[in-house]
Amino acid sequence: MNKSKVVVIKGKGVVSSGADLDRKKISEMLSVGFRLLTGTREPGESLARLFARAERIGIKVNTIGGRKISTRPELSLSLAELLIKNGQPDRNIVIWDRTNRELREAGYGLSDRTNGLKVLATDTAGAGYETEIISHRNIGSLFSTIQTNFVTASISLAILKDHGLAGVTAGMKNYFGAIHNPNKYHDSHCDPFIAELFESGPIKDKHRLSLLDALVVQYHRGPSYHAQWAERSGALIFSLDPVAADAVGWRLIETLRSRKGLPSLKEEDREPVYLGTAEKLGLGRAGGDSIEVIEDEV
Amino acid sequence: MKRRRFCETLAGTGFLLGTGAAHDLHRVWTFEDVANLSHVEARYYKKHPDRETECLLCPRLCKLGDKERGYCGVRQNDGGTYYTLVYGKACSANVDPIEKKPFFHFLPGTDAFSIATAGCNVNCKFCQNWQISQVRAEQVPHFDLPPVEVAAAAARTGCRSVAYTYTEPTVFFEYMYDSAVEARRKGLKNCVVTAGHIQPEPLQDLLKVVDAIKIDLKAFRQDFYKDYVRGDLQPVLEAIRMVSQSKVWLEIVYLVIPTLNDAEKDIRSMCRWTAKEIGRDIPIHFTRFQPMYLVKNLPPTPISTLESLRDIAIQEGMHYVYVGNVPGHSAENTYCPRCRSTVIERFGMQVKAMAMNKGACRSCQYPIPGIWA
Repeated sequence: MNKSKVVVIKGKGVVSSGADLDRKKISEMLSVGFRLLTGTREPGESLARLFARAERIGIKVNTIGGRKISTRPELSLSLAELLIKNGQPDRNIVIWDRTNRELREAGYGLSDRTNGLKVLATDTAGAGYETEIISHRNIGSLFSTIQTNFVTASISLAILKDHGLAGVTAGMKNYFGAIHNPNKYHDSHCDPFIAELFESGPIKDKHRLSLLDALVVQYHRGPSYHAQWAERSGALIFSLDPVAADAVGWRLIETLRSRKGLPSLKEEDREPVYLGTAEKLGLGRAGGDSIEVIEDEV
Repeated sequence: MKRRRFCETLAGTGFLLGTGAAHDLHRVWTFEDVANLSHVEARYYKKHPDRETECLLCPRLCKLGDKERGYCGVRQNDGGTYYTLVYGKACSANVDPIEKKPFFHFLPGTDAFSIATAGCNVNCKFCQNWQISQVRAEQVPHFDLPPVEVAAAAARTGCRSVAYTYTEPTVFFEYMYDSAVEARRKGLKNCVVTAGHIQPEPLQDLLKVVDAIKIDLKAFRQDFYKDYVRGDLQPVLEAIRMVSQSKVWLEIVYLVIPTLNDAEKDIRSMCRWTAKEIGRDIPIHFTRFQPMYLVKNLPPTPISTLESLRDIAIQEGMHYVYVGNVPGHSAENTYCPRCRSTVIERFGMQVKAMAMNKGACRSCQYPIPGIWA
């Protein structure tokens, strides 16, 4: 059986000591990452393998943590630019999350241009949630109409963070921001809820790519920002396997914790058990032996 | 703007998003801009290091980092301080007959000014009001109705009481408490309709300002609470016990869901526990389920099931056992436990006749427990 491929690209100096980001470097990281992920020579060829020209692409970001620890606008916009540069119509791309307030607070400039790139949230007037509950296993939620009606191909562009309940929050849990009641799914380490939400039709049928923002990683006391436990890792993690992407993100968090002399998440009884559930549901691979990690630095 | 139009907008087919011609592209209009949530510090929580908070209002004891929201969806840690987002933010306010709650031994035949905010601290798969209870504060339309206005509106509409109901009042505790204080100042009574999933300390405080509490006992099995309520049975039993030991009037409602919580042995256990621990005079209402929310695959409760469960409760010595959501059923009436006379005749939410004198059966003078005036 083929292993799931996860690409980790590190950007030398991409995050300055003041936590500013080098946009040019990010673009370079994205190009290299996509090439390695798809085994192609050009980013255009890579993206063409992932997205058809007529698709409407949703870039789901996670902005709950504010400016310091949300998916960086510089990264989201660079990704959108890359897609546009390689032939995706800008009007067919939306960078989105659940509330416009959170997007603003994370540094995003909102835009609902008819014929341009859109940056907006589910609580935008005229968007909102579906009115009918979608029920799937233990999930019963109203989904964002951005995910159900606009998006045909979804990228989970999540910030990688330690999470007090789930263990880690990454690409899969990012879709909690696509439903109206994520607060109901944090019991028992968010398990089986993270995996089961991902398995629901509106998510699984549209998810195309996990891309984790590990430029600055909150490796302890997350998901809130704490400067003393935030590491400028300068990395991006790419995978077509959502479970493998999160598993590699978890490993990175464990590495940082170990380096800082902190106990492992297992020792703190908050291992991300949702990964095992996700694997059992056939959503991807969680085990180290079944994941091929390709690392590069630009 | 309709949803279809929004999607057309996103797809770039020619519509502007928004409502006005002078649309500002740099400031997208949002629900939250008009949501106008409250930012009132919560009363039952603990501060922890690193801006973490621990909610002490309900048995979940949510531990939250900065910017995180509790299970209820209406309380949030903001910079290490815990806030209620729904203080004075009612999403429902109506004048209801008290029988709708249902209270059968509390001011019968009167109206209750009934209010709710968004949110709930459990997630019953059969919730009848999920559109307002299972949503976050900003996801439901609401309006400003501060406590003093609650009391004023209740008095103005001729209500004898204020009812905290529809969703789960525990999650709007501060608003409920302050409204209850204001209502008492106007000579009104207060009643609460709750799942009873609350910590002892806030409940103890609440008992000082309210007059009646109806607790929805969802089942008498922990596994049902875990699977269908997402809560725990034990704290609810403790709440029932605490209320029964206070001067506050208590009634229990048990929504009977076919195959899920209608086992006769469970009902018998529940009635035995109630008779022994709480008392035989506590009214129990067995109410009829209608398919709703996440439990749509089951039929409405057969009336015969409600009747047989009522028979069990009476066999176990309970004095006041009712059948609910079956308008016109004879078990909507209150009967004197001694002479079996009808002391209150009801049809649905209406009181048709009362045969009581100073809280006692008019025929035999047997005292009927409750708050009657």
